[in-house]
Amino acid sequence: MNSDKITKGVLIFASAIILLVAGGMALSLVEGAIPAFKNFGLNFIFNNNWNPTRGKENYGALPFIAGTLITSVTALIISLPLSFSASLFLGEYYRGTKMAKVLGMMVDLLAGIPSIVYGLWGFYVLRPLLVDLGLPNQGFGIFTASIILAIMIIPYATSLSNEIILMVPNELKEAAYSLGATKSEVIFNVIVPSARSGIIAGYILSFGRALGETMAVTMLIGNANVIPDGFFSTGNTMASVIANQFGEADGLKLSSLIAIGLLLFLITGIINAIGKFIIKRMA
Amino acid sequence: MKQFVIIILAVFLLGACSNSSKKNGNEKSATSSDLTITAAGATFPMPYYNMVFNQYSDETGVQITYGGIGSGGGIRSLTDKVVDFGATDAYLDDEQLAEMPAEVVHIPTVLGAVVIAYNLPGVDGLKLSNELLEKIFMGEITNWNDPLIAQNNAGLSFPDKEITFIHRSDGSGTTFIFSDYMTKVSSKWAEAVGTGKSLQWPVGMGAKGNPGVAGTISQTEGAIGYIGSEYAFAQKIQTAQVQNSAGNYITPSIASVSAAAKGAIPDDTRIMLTNSDDPESYPISGFTWIILYKEQNYNGRSKEQALATLKLLDWLESESAQSQAETVHYAPLPQATAEKAKTILRTVTYNGTQLLN
Amino acid sequence: MAATQKIEITNLKYRTLKDRVIKGIIIAFSLITISPIILIIYKLIEKGIRQISFDFILKTPPNTFEAMTAITNGEIIPGGIANGITGTLLMVLLASALAIPVGIVTGIYLYENPGKFLANLTRNVSDILQGVPSIVLGLIAYIWVVKHITNGYSALAGSVSLSIMMLPMIVRSTEETLKMIPQTIKEAALALGVPYYKVILKILIPTGFSGLLTGILLGISRVLGETAPLMLTALGSSIINFDISKPTSAIPLLIWEFYNDPNMVDLIWSSSLLLMFIVLTLNIISKQIASRTK
Repeated sequence: MNSDKITKGVLIFASAIILLVAGGMALSLVEGAIPAFKNFGLNFIFNNNWNPTRGKENYGALPFIAGTLITSVTALIISLPLSFSASLFLGEYYRGTKMAKVLGMMVDLLAGIPSIVYGLWGFYVLRPLLVDLGLPNQGFGIFTASIILAIMIIPYATSLSNEIILMVPNELKEAAYSLGATKSEVIFNVIVPSARSGIIAGYILSFGRALGETMAVTMLIGNANVIPDGFFSTGNTMASVIANQFGEADGLKLSSLIAIGLLLFLITGIINAIGKFIIKRMA
Repeated sequence: MKQFVIIILAVFLLGACSNSSKKNGNEKSATSSDLTITAAGATFPMPYYNMVFNQYSDETGVQITYGGIGSGGGIRSLTDKVVDFGATDAYLDDEQLAEMPAEVVHIPTVLGAVVIAYNLPGVDGLKLSNELLEKIFMGEITNWNDPLIAQNNAGLSFPDKEITFIHRSDGSGTTFIFSDYMTKVSSKWAEAVGTGKSLQWPVGMGAKGNPGVAGTISQTEGAIGYIGSEYAFAQKIQTAQVQNSAGNYITPSIASVSAAAKGAIPDDTRIMLTNSDDPESYPISGFTWIILYKEQNYNGRSKEQALATLKLLDWLESESAQSQAETVHYAPLPQATAEKAKTILRTVTYNGTQLLN
Repeated sequence: MAATQKIEITNLKYRTLKDRVIKGIIIAFSLITISPIILIIYKLIEKGIRQISFDFILKTPPNTFEAMTAITNGEIIPGGIANGITGTLLMVLLASALAIPVGIVTGIYLYENPGKFLANLTRNVSDILQGVPSIVLGLIAYIWVVKHITNGYSALAGSVSLSIMMLPMIVRSTEETLKMIPQTIKEAALALGVPYYKVILKILIPTGFSGLLTGILLGISRVLGETAPLMLTALGSSIINFDISKPTSAIPLLIWEFYNDPNMVDLIWSSSLLLMFIVLTLNIISKQIASRTK
């Protein structure tokens, strides 16, 4: 079957492209990050300083790693019940109805809002709202940034989970119903297990999005280059500091920023691996 | 259905991949030209540049693209030779000049200032001495009802309100000019913080861009911060009077900013105008520069391209461009400085021969 | 007998109650989920609808002086974002042309070879790519395309950075969608001797079309609104441009320029509104296409 061989070849070729692109990216980042690591050594990762003053330059990634992890995990936790419910709403409870169409469209629109507009809306609308509710620091901080991130990542998990739930074969559901199961029992005992892989993939993508979000976070997090000492205090994330300081950076500072980009690459990989491992264990 | 979609995509792709430049939608161009000039750099002069570049395009048909990606981006783009010239709020010092691949010249294009903006309803005409600036921005004075502030402002009454200092979170030329001034007038600041586009701030919180700082200040009673003058003037924000080196309290205005450039300027125009000598000058003012290579034959650049670039820059230094600055709240260059810039432009060469007459 | 029946009935009551409570919670959470979009759209319309007109779509932006005079006179700011609209469409189209084939084919590969090392590696790498900040992708495209291919800022560089951003979404949704197709369908076709590529094109893809389309749509939606990478690659332009080797504008870039100009800040809301409209249109069109193929 010659055409089969060609088909298989094409499939492998496409995957190779992604690997090459990612590999090339890693190389370029490593190249740019070397001066920083030469200067600070591996201690760069644990260094809690970020001092750009000329003559006293001292850069470290720890404040940003902390900020990124806290905001992304919080955002995932906030968005999980919301997007899961929404995907069940669309995929099961009101499946096929007009209401589902409208709601589904609204969720998809969330994905289409430019990240800068999320930042602007967060700055002009959400922040004063939170200040009225008593938040300190003029509403800037980890909490505000996490909320915006949660809103931003909802559509990824919802849409994907929705599609997967819709594809669960009817026979499975009908069999359960015929045994007298209630709707929620069918959902949690039949549909969710069978759609598990896709649902989880949706959350991994959501989480990745949260880790790498730049513009919206940078407008709301207060940009204090320290490890946040409370949930409502200001901080900074890896993506945000790169975006903020990149335009004006050169020399050692530029290299440090690129090093942070490289670290984000690595951290994403580690977290994904840990997450997948835990999920496998839970099976 | 699928084939239809694929055909549409293919047509679009072919149209997009063709390297011929389609006629633009600008129906105002008198003559057309295939020349495009690309530049990138500081966001501070962007509104002014966009306006005058558009005018130049209308008059000559040469298309100009300016990307406000930051002074650092402008320097980097010029280093990588992917633009015709760069724009920066902070001139390259000797060390940075040495790192550039070839010799670079600076020409100043317009003046701007950094104003101290605040939000205290009913309290207009705030005077801040250098001592007060130091104490407020370094966190020693934390409330508006502090006696030191009242002492300096006879006749004004101050509420019991916490002072919230808003600074820039992103690296910026505005921060550079502000910190340069603070370093000159406060030894404490010079020691602890210094000058730079990004700083280790003793107190305060960061907002992104001029609009971020301005927006936060206007929404927070008791806030104080620094913003670019063109922004403050356009948005009519409360600004404080600052004391210059002659001891006079000066309100930021076009005239007082221009006065800062009235003193002596070095021939290569690299100078910080903060705390200048002129008694009428606003002390937190500065140039913004355009940087380009002295030898224009690099990377296969054509003589035409180089000449077009220089003609644009020469026009930028002329009366037609400078007279527009004031309308959009930037301060024009004094005649003497524009002359210096024009002289520098005439040292730029192509293959060693001077390009402009 | 009566005892067990009683237990069954109370058990049933309990389960039914649980069922109702869960349904209530799900509906409540779903409503919370859509509240932000309502708030955001409301704000966009409130502040942006004034500026929307045919001019807005057809003309290029005004300069800051024209905007200033319009504001002082209480008029609508003249001009529009035509250069941004064409630039965005150009770059997103090109990015899609790059990302969709690669993404879908890779997704198929992952689906066909679930256990293999290369497949697992590709899947993990794709998931990691999703987490890369957009500005880092912009930097990569700057190094690869701006510096080495087009020797200047260009629409091509912008498209490259956007296409990398779209890939993970498309790859994963393709793989997961295909996984949900019952094996029997595929096996039946193969048993009948249908060549592999035909199975893919005529059976797998059409069956999973809706899911594939969702992934593509999410990818496109995301890159329509990205600013940071375009700042380093496409730079921007004050005129409409279709030449991919030259700097090009895009709606998010224009929004950034408006944000930084004291007189044009109001335009950010109308530009966002227009972008939303484009996303909505895309959504509707794709849902139509999906239902057509069902």
